[in-house]
Amino acid sequence: MAQTITLKAHDGTQVQYVDTGDPMQGGLKDVYFSPDRSYVVAFFRDKMSSADYSATKERLTTIVTTYRERIFNQAGGDYWKDLFCWPTKVVEYNGKIGIVAPVYQKHFFFTYGYNAAAAQIASIVGKEKEGKWFAAAQFRNPAFKLHLDKRELSDWFKYVLICLRIARAVRRMHAAGLAHSDLSYKNVLIDPTTGNAAIIDIDGLVVPGKFPPDVIGTPDFIAPEVMATKHLPKTDAGRKLPSINTDRHALAVMIYMYLLYRHPLRGGKVNDLDPQKDEELSMGQKALFVEHPTDATNRPKLNQVKPTQLPWADITKIPYSITGPYLKELFERAFITGLHNPMQRPTADEWENALIKTVDLMQPCQNVKCDQKWFVFDNSTRPKCPFCGTLYQGQLPILNLYAQRSPGKWTEEKHRVMVYHNQYLYPWHINRNIAPNEKLTPEQRKPVGYFVQHGGKWVLINQTMNSLKDVDQNKIIGPNEMVELTDGKKILLSADDGGRLVIVQLVTN
Amino acid sequence: MASRRLPVYLLLDTSGSMKGEPIHAVNNGLQVLLSKLRQDPYALETVWISLITFDREVKQIVPLTDLESLLLPEVTTPDSGPTNMGAALELLLNVMRREVKTGAGDDKGDWRPLLFLMTDGKPSDLALFRSIVPKIRSYNFAMVVACAAGASAQDSFLKEITDTVVHLDTADSNTLTSFFKWVSASIGTGNQSVTSTEQLVLPPPPDEINMVI
Repeated sequence: MAQTITLKAHDGTQVQYVDTGDPMQGGLKDVYFSPDRSYVVAFFRDKMSSADYSATKERLTTIVTTYRERIFNQAGGDYWKDLFCWPTKVVEYNGKIGIVAPVYQKHFFFTYGYNAAAAQIASIVGKEKEGKWFAAAQFRNPAFKLHLDKRELSDWFKYVLICLRIARAVRRMHAAGLAHSDLSYKNVLIDPTTGNAAIIDIDGLVVPGKFPPDVIGTPDFIAPEVMATKHLPKTDAGRKLPSINTDRHALAVMIYMYLLYRHPLRGGKVNDLDPQKDEELSMGQKALFVEHPTDATNRPKLNQVKPTQLPWADITKIPYSITGPYLKELFERAFITGLHNPMQRPTADEWENALIKTVDLMQPCQNVKCDQKWFVFDNSTRPKCPFCGTLYQGQLPILNLYAQRSPGKWTEEKHRVMVYHNQYLYPWHINRNIAPNEKLTPEQRKPVGYFVQHGGKWVLINQTMNSLKDVDQNKIIGPNEMVELTDGKKILLSADDGGRLVIVQLVTN
Repeated sequence: MASRRLPVYLLLDTSGSMKGEPIHAVNNGLQVLLSKLRQDPYALETVWISLITFDREVKQIVPLTDLESLLLPEVTTPDSGPTNMGAALELLLNVMRREVKTGAGDDKGDWRPLLFLMTDGKPSDLALFRSIVPKIRSYNFAMVVACAAGASAQDSFLKEITDTVVHLDTADSNTLTSFFKWVSASIGTGNQSVTSTEQLVLPPPPDEINMVI
């Protein structure tokens, strides 16, 4: 019954797919594999009016040509191949229009899926790692029968990397003037085992003023102003439709959910006794951050929360501040000041930078049994893993970064690097003119030194830094030499323009 | 986070005419439905399922249960006997009164329930059926889908309950399996992208099904 269909795409190239009669079904599209399974062909399921059809055709063609080139045919363009599953061609068949897109990479499919005991009742091995699996607390609670295998869940560091990649991808789209318009964990695949993420379903792209959106988003991610005005006709001036601003809301929700495994707006407050109306108000006009500092009315009620949602549903036990100072500030802008004020929401670029700096604050938990394995340093003198409560034991070196604003004048950058055993130092740490993003050269992706605890002392081993200098002793530390980290020590990481100075702080417990 | 439950009631005809392949197909279809839903992280968070069967007797064979702990019993059928669909709907209203939480004060209630009813015949207890229909109509369901399976199933009675009637030409295992797959997709629609034009839409039925609206 399966038959191979051969078509000509918009660019004249040949496209084939296997029609099994039972396509995979997305929200709007039916999806078929190519015979060699190297790409998929996805047709819009519903019949469109001829006006809609030609508008869709024009939009899709622009997405696979102009917009695609805008992102991929630039410096660092190859970097994006892993972060976007960008459609490559437009096809038409039997009055339906569709797109060709690359298949998802192998790490985006479950290897183990559920825990071994659950294999008796259900299996998700080989299924796509849709983000929801990793954003819902119950799938990581051993009391929930269908919880995921620990190897699939991985550690907290990987979720920070996942958020970073998502923020970076969204930043890139926005920089090109494009809004995704339906960002959700359904449209982002993630792999906690490697820290990878890829944005899929890009065919809904919105270009302000050119192509209006045909979806308003996915529940959980729809911006309050869109939810609150969805009853108005599309032509009404007050109607808010998806845009770059609403993408920013969705991005903030996603980052919050991947780091805290709960929804920032779903709390205990009942805004209407009708569940549908309550949903519209709670996600729309009356949306309120569950952790709002002064309005506690939407706090999750722990007696109403399923036990399998714990400990994550308990905001006093795991408040958003555990994500560290940089993310904390952005969450406040996203869910307090900017929730009903779209212009104040953090941009994807701000999220990317905050996440990069947060990576530098990460510490491995000393409890080998800790499920999260990593946490963000809380700027205290007695660091403690917020997830398992283990106190940090021993000496903890912290590097405070300084930059030279004018000759001889160094100012603190509000950027700290926590040191841990076998941690690497990269070019973007030693020079403020280098940012860790898609534009890095292969050379800049290599570490320049590393930290180890050696004979009871913390040392920095220089690998390739050519002007590393112990400022206190006025002594150059050459490659393959080391410098000990002691409290108050000043080290110049690079004498180049933009080179940084660090002052070491040693916390002892 | 406080997540609402989505109650899903399945009312299944187990009268004598379902004996043989059709009832095997129903059992198989339920397995498929459950395993599909257990692969859906959204469903696992919200969906609760109850099964009510009707023949001469009317039984709730599975009370409203979450997907994680649901154990499917074997659905069986007597050799012959009437199709007490009216009594089944009456039982449904009773159990819903007990099982479905409505919002009250500061307690979030359940989502509006979904009802799927499948029959291969017509109600034998027509008077009772007719007296219950208005109550079903006025109950605040999110969606009611009635399925007429096989040649002798009569759409007209089902249309009294709901505007959404699907007609399966045969009640063989392939057709019923695809129906149950479709049911699982319908339960999942709440989590998909919402179109900018309007509300919750049913996924298209599988090819073997004729939508009678």
